[in-house]
Amino acid sequence: MKETFKEVPSIWTTGWTDILNTGTWRSAIPIYQKRLAPCHSACPVDGEIPTWIMLARKQLYHEAWSALVVNNPFPAVTGRICHHPCEGACNRGEYDGAVAINALEQYIGDLALSEGWTLPHPTIELDQRIAVIGGGPAGLSCAYQLRQLGYKVTIFESRPELGGVLRYGIPRYRLSKEIWDGELKRLLALGIEIKVNHLVKANDLSSLERDYSAVFLALGAQNSKTLPQFSVDDLKVFKGYEFLERVNRGEVPQLGQEVVVIGGGSVALDVAGTARRLGSQVKVLALEAMDSLPAQPDELTESLEEGVEIYAGAMVQKVNLGPERISLDCIKVTLDEAFPAGVLRPIPRSGTEFNVSATSVILAVGQETELTGWDSVINIGQSLVKVGADLATSRPGVFAGGDVTPAERFVSTAIGQGKKASSSIDRYLTEQTSDSQSLSKTENSEDKVAYQEINMFYFPEKARERKGLVPVEQRLQNFDEVRISFNFEQTQSQSERCFSCGNCVECDNCFYFCPDMAVVKDSSLAEHYSILDQYCKGCGSCVQECPRGAVVLKEETGR
Amino acid sequence: MGYQINEEKVFNSGHAACPGCSEALAMRYIVNTLGPDTIGVVPPSCIAIISGPQPLSSMRMPVYQTTLEASAASATGIARALKAKGNDHTKVVAIAGDGGTYDIGFQSLSSAAERNEDFIYICLDNEGYMNTGAQKSSSTPYLAYTASTPAGKPTPKKNLAEIMAAHRIPYMATATTGYPEDLARKVAKAKGIRGLRFIVVLTPCLDGWGLADNAGPKVSRLAVETGVFPLYEVENGEHYTLNYGSKGTPINQYLSLQKRYRHLNQAQIEEIQIEVDNNWQRLHRKFST
Ligand SMILES: Cc1cc2nc3c(=O)[nH]c(=O)nc-3n(C[C@H](O)[C@H](O)[C@H](O)COP(=O)(O)OP(=O)(O)OC[C@H]3O[C@@H](n4cnc5c(N)ncnc54)[C@H](O)[C@@H]3O)c2cc1C
Ligand SMILES: Cc1ncc(C[n+]2csc(CCOP(=O)(O)OP(=O)(O)O)c2C)c(N)n1
Ligand code: SF4
Ligand code: SF4
Ligand code: SF4
Ligand SMILES: [Mg+2]
Repeated sequence: MKETFKEVPSIWTTGWTDILNTGTWRSAIPIYQKRLAPCHSACPVDGEIPTWIMLARKQLYHEAWSALVVNNPFPAVTGRICHHPCEGACNRGEYDGAVAINALEQYIGDLALSEGWTLPHPTIELDQRIAVIGGGPAGLSCAYQLRQLGYKVTIFESRPELGGVLRYGIPRYRLSKEIWDGELKRLLALGIEIKVNHLVKANDLSSLERDYSAVFLALGAQNSKTLPQFSVDDLKVFKGYEFLERVNRGEVPQLGQEVVVIGGGSVALDVAGTARRLGSQVKVLALEAMDSLPAQPDELTESLEEGVEIYAGAMVQKVNLGPERISLDCIKVTLDEAFPAGVLRPIPRSGTEFNVSATSVILAVGQETELTGWDSVINIGQSLVKVGADLATSRPGVFAGGDVTPAERFVSTAIGQGKKASSSIDRYLTEQTSDSQSLSKTENSEDKVAYQEINMFYFPEKARERKGLVPVEQRLQNFDEVRISFNFEQTQSQSERCFSCGNCVECDNCFYFCPDMAVVKDSSLAEHYSILDQYCKGCGSCVQECPRGAVVLKEETGR
Repeated sequence: MGYQINEEKVFNSGHAACPGCSEALAMRYIVNTLGPDTIGVVPPSCIAIISGPQPLSSMRMPVYQTTLEASAASATGIARALKAKGNDHTKVVAIAGDGGTYDIGFQSLSSAAERNEDFIYICLDNEGYMNTGAQKSSSTPYLAYTASTPAGKPTPKKNLAEIMAAHRIPYMATATTGYPEDLARKVAKAKGIRGLRFIVVLTPCLDGWGLADNAGPKVSRLAVETGVFPLYEVENGEHYTLNYGSKGTPINQYLSLQKRYRHLNQAQIEEIQIEVDNNWQRLHRKFST
């Protein structure tokens, strides 16, 4: 049979456009990148907030808790009492209210306690021993992180129990003893040697240095400051921290019916709330005006609800000590604004004199360190231990952190410093240079995901919820916790509010919005997506349509 | 809407659309939803360019390039020929621009609709003759700049969606590229219906409208949220369903992203706002039943 050839007319299709290289058109290419969320950037423990909230949203609570405890062994504590700067930085704050990060943390922290989840044990055991002096949040956090690295750790604590301010300072109605005991017990199960009732003095340091490879000083600042007008020898005059500590040890200090608290900070309000629960009427006298009290606004609201009377912008001029009562001659003041923040220079306003009478006075005008003798072994500047950025003191092998150093006085800051000191100690002992695994904030701070990078189309408005509060009549009956944790439904719906700034959640938006099919899903990759170099025209639609700034466009020069 | 996009790989990479092109994105969801057992009809337009430089094609299916007037007539012929051959599975789709639909191809479309021919007609509406240098079409909106309306178009956009619904065809829908799920769902729905199915897809033209390369989806969504281009479906000219309507977003948020509107003064912006609000209210009444 004769062979027939059929010639293909030139107007017919003979192939597909995918042999063409439209990638040459481009001058920028998208890059998948895990980026720093502003909440994470603001978190003093360097917590990967978008990661654990994303896991909570998927109801992977154990995984969420595991991500939390990488940086912070006490999420049930910080979930209650952290001053939560993360929420202040949260991108959603500019939209319809910050994500309720602190309440979510508490839910997960509490779940871990009720489920009995345990902390991971170290995978290696090292021979070196580290001494941690001071068993507050800074010392415990450092001990925890060092233990995770395999070091043997001994904690020296002058008091009978560990916890520092968490155990002896903060009133139980803000942090119950059960919660604290649970968090502590789980940490100690990692095998940490503890020496309680063991006060370490400066001249013990050299002998410690013989037995231990490094030392972490976390002595806190537990001495209450006093005022010269008040004689602290009088039984009607109490020091704020000592008062709280006595109550936390189970004593009932005899205050009488009318208590005056001096001071306008958080400690003053803790003292006031405690005195109210012991049955006294309470007046708080503060130099600062009502709208600039150093206490947190919600603490102030709670105090006022509990019937605490606040005399803001007032100063005690004269103390008249009687056998039963103390009479205080006071005057209204304004603060001299010419002085820098933190320095209070009251200007009395004549004609505003008044008198207050009390059965006892509690001084809550600040805390200071107890460093007698320590200046002979390490550098002390202005009553605080001097440290470098790595928390090393002037003495090799001795590190310090928390309230005893010039750090902000917050629990989360202390925990963050303990963690930071642990890596400095590890580096000191292994003579390595820094190779921090998580996003180091200082290095990536410019790359924080900005609010403008969030694509609001994907986030319909959804109201923020807050922790509940026990009714005020009930609150004053006892020392039970006053803040009501989120329930499961609240936790779910509130965790959905997180944008997951800079953290890919595999929503596939970038894939669906590429007109060139240049985004490929590939679960074998860590980023789960890749860009086809041959086709991507660099339009940036994938970047723009990523709801959360997890893809960025990178200029390509010299193409 | 909860629709799960299901793509068959018909549309190819390497096509010649501008970076970020909305029409290419629309074509992806149209032909990948229809699948390879489809015959395409494409008149002169950007779509023809994106279809591929001969002899290469961006679509792994047969595509017939017809004249600007004749998309619906060509599709009619192909659909009838398939029927005559006893083929009741291959779908026919005409994909045309707004110039080729609202204006030049309108009579053949209207008469095919009147006869209820069995094919899908999709208009990729970029509101002008873009492939020839951005001249106005009857789809160009009121006061928009084009090369042939340098002071802004003096007349409003023709309402083709309502004109097509008035033909009482089995299915008429509006869609836009900022909502790929909605677009793909409508194409899939049209695929399952017989008779003339018409979808007009608003596809912001980056060059012709004066938009950034990454702004297509965003502008598309603003068209919906301001009420300029509501997304809805009409079955048999009667049954109206609203998918995404106005959220009351001020019109200026939409206009200010587009260079074709940058000559507008405040009074003109307000005039457009009133027109948009009136159109939205008029349409909104149809959803009450
Ligand atoms: C009443 C009160 C309420 C507070 N409320 C909050 C709050 O709600 N939220 C918040 O973020 N922050 C709060 N703070 C601040 C926060 O508690 C501290 O910043 C934090 O506890 C500091 O931790 P630290 O480990 O450095 O010190 P500390 O908690 O003070 O712990 C230091 C520990 O070292 C021990 N120690 C001291 N000297 C020696 C020694 N020589 N040898 C052995 N052991 C020693 C002490 O006994 C103590 O256990 C509050 C502080 C106070 C006082
Ligand atoms: C009858 C006729 N008139 C003019 C042209 C030239 N022409 C080719 S494409 C085109 C523009 C078509 O505009 P539209 O249909 O809106 O498609 P777009 O280019 O905007 O995608 C024109 C006018 C033609 N091919 N046929
Ligand atoms: S939205 Fe989520 S990830 Fe973004 S800042 Fe707020 S808590 Fe962090
Ligand atoms: S959408 Fe596609 S073509 Fe555009 S930048 Fe992203 S990968 Fe490249
Ligand atoms: S668009 Fe979605 S899938 Fe793509 S990078 Fe962003 S979060 Fe991840
Ligand atoms: Mg057009």
